[in-house]
Amino acid sequence: MALTFGALTRPDAESEVRAPSRHRTIGLSLAAVGLALATISLVNSIVAGDLARQGVSADQVGSLGAWSFGLTTAAFATVKLAIGLILLGIVRHIWVRVESVKASLPTLLRSSASDAAPLGEFESAFGPATATTTAPKPLLIHRLAGLMWAPMLAMGVMLVYAGLLLSFAAAGNVTADPALSSSQRAWVQGVQFLGEGLLLSGVSFLLGTILGAIRAGGGEVQESLGLTVKTLRMPTTAKVFVGLMMLGLMVEIAQFAGYAYIATVPGTADYATFSTWLGPLRELGLGALLSGIVLALATIARALGFQFARITQIITSGR
Amino acid sequence: MSASFRSDFNVELSSRALGPNLPQRIGRLLWAPMLLMAVMAFPIGFAIGIARANLVAAGGDAATIAALGHLGPAAMFVGFAAVFAAISFAIARILGVLRAGGGEVQEAAGRRVQTLRMPASAWAFIGLMAMSMMVILAGVVGNAVVGASIAGGSTDLLAQSEGWAIWFEAVRRIGVALYLVAIALGLASIIEALRFQAIRLRELPAEAAG
Repeated sequence: MALTFGALTRPDAESEVRAPSRHRTIGLSLAAVGLALATISLVNSIVAGDLARQGVSADQVGSLGAWSFGLTTAAFATVKLAIGLILLGIVRHIWVRVESVKASLPTLLRSSASDAAPLGEFESAFGPATATTTAPKPLLIHRLAGLMWAPMLAMGVMLVYAGLLLSFAAAGNVTADPALSSSQRAWVQGVQFLGEGLLLSGVSFLLGTILGAIRAGGGEVQESLGLTVKTLRMPTTAKVFVGLMMLGLMVEIAQFAGYAYIATVPGTADYATFSTWLGPLRELGLGALLSGIVLALATIARALGFQFARITQIITSGR
Repeated sequence: MSASFRSDFNVELSSRALGPNLPQRIGRLLWAPMLLMAVMAFPIGFAIGIARANLVAAGGDAATIAALGHLGPAAMFVGFAAVFAAISFAIARILGVLRAGGGEVQEAAGRRVQTLRMPASAWAFIGLMAMSMMVILAGVVGNAVVGASIAGGSTDLLAQSEGWAIWFEAVRRIGVALYLVAIALGLASIIEALRFQAIRLRELPAEAAG
């Protein structure tokens, strides 16, 4: 496959700096589509709720509920895919900014230092950092993130939309074959929330790719100027982010296994009992993934702050 | 500070770096407390789900099961509201770092400081974030009121529990969708800020130092 993920995340050095971001435009358009799908599901749910309060047949309410769940989850997945596209645009623009810094910084130096900054570990205003003569190699987690974001996003979207199609089938079987419909609804929930977990993991890997780009780009700039390369060490927030991401994904895999089991025993006491706690379990998994994403964003803010401070230091002190 | 004078971006001119604006300062303060709230709410929602499952398995009181069916999602979605708020505040914090840092670099280089004014996407991000938070909390409050009423012995609400549950779930879910779109807008604003910075950096060498 000629197209590599590296080409997707890092534009050419000569790419047009002024060009508006297509990822931003496409991402926001896709987000609007997701919102439209969620609105359709909202209307359907209002109707279903009203029918339920009026005491009409459980089959009718169940049928509406079956495809409404699938559509709502697909709507979320669409907006999350949009977020993924916009994050990809952010990665690319970080590299465009790196090229701009490389091009401009040599001319902006206000003084030149006679000696290089000392090497080794030191405590910066943003946390522990290291000073080396060459740019550090990418960390394993950054390399993994660069490889995994695309497959995760793709698998997530496929699973969620497969679940959507199955939800329509389940809705159609509510009256004709209630046991089959119950089984299918269990599969819908398990498959779609595994897909949601993979999508959020893809978003997490994209955030990891952003962090990798900030680290690598900062190293490239300093090395290109022949300066001591100062690099922020991985903060605790980044380590906890990775842990929460793995925990969330494992929980989503566990809930998929749970739904796969109850899909084989529709209409039994086990089905009712398991369904009751599998719902909160899958939401707990999403909660862990989202909490990890908060920490990733906090790490990005810290890394950017370190970078700006370093650029300012280079301009004013020349080292 | 004087009015914007560029045709490609709406900027503020100043001789010194401008710090983060009010939404960005709020973001810097509140992302961590919101995350903490979320981390506390999620296990509570899960624990209520486990308790409800035990009652279902043991053939427990229908009213208690119905009440927990409302209180559990209420607690869980307090968590979701808090974690989405934390994400939004963290994005605002990043925008603040870009704004302040970009100004500091220009000031250090001795150039006139140009600071990007908040783009339309950032205003939409803030507005949609506030709206979606209120929508989710409306669903949460609804669930909590119905759950508490059923637990308090309301037979009318018990009879209509399923219908109310479907409605409040719909309200919560549209709130989540709105929040995700708000986050997309916030991230889109980061692209705008990065794009402006990349262009501005290339302009600095040609400008005379102040």
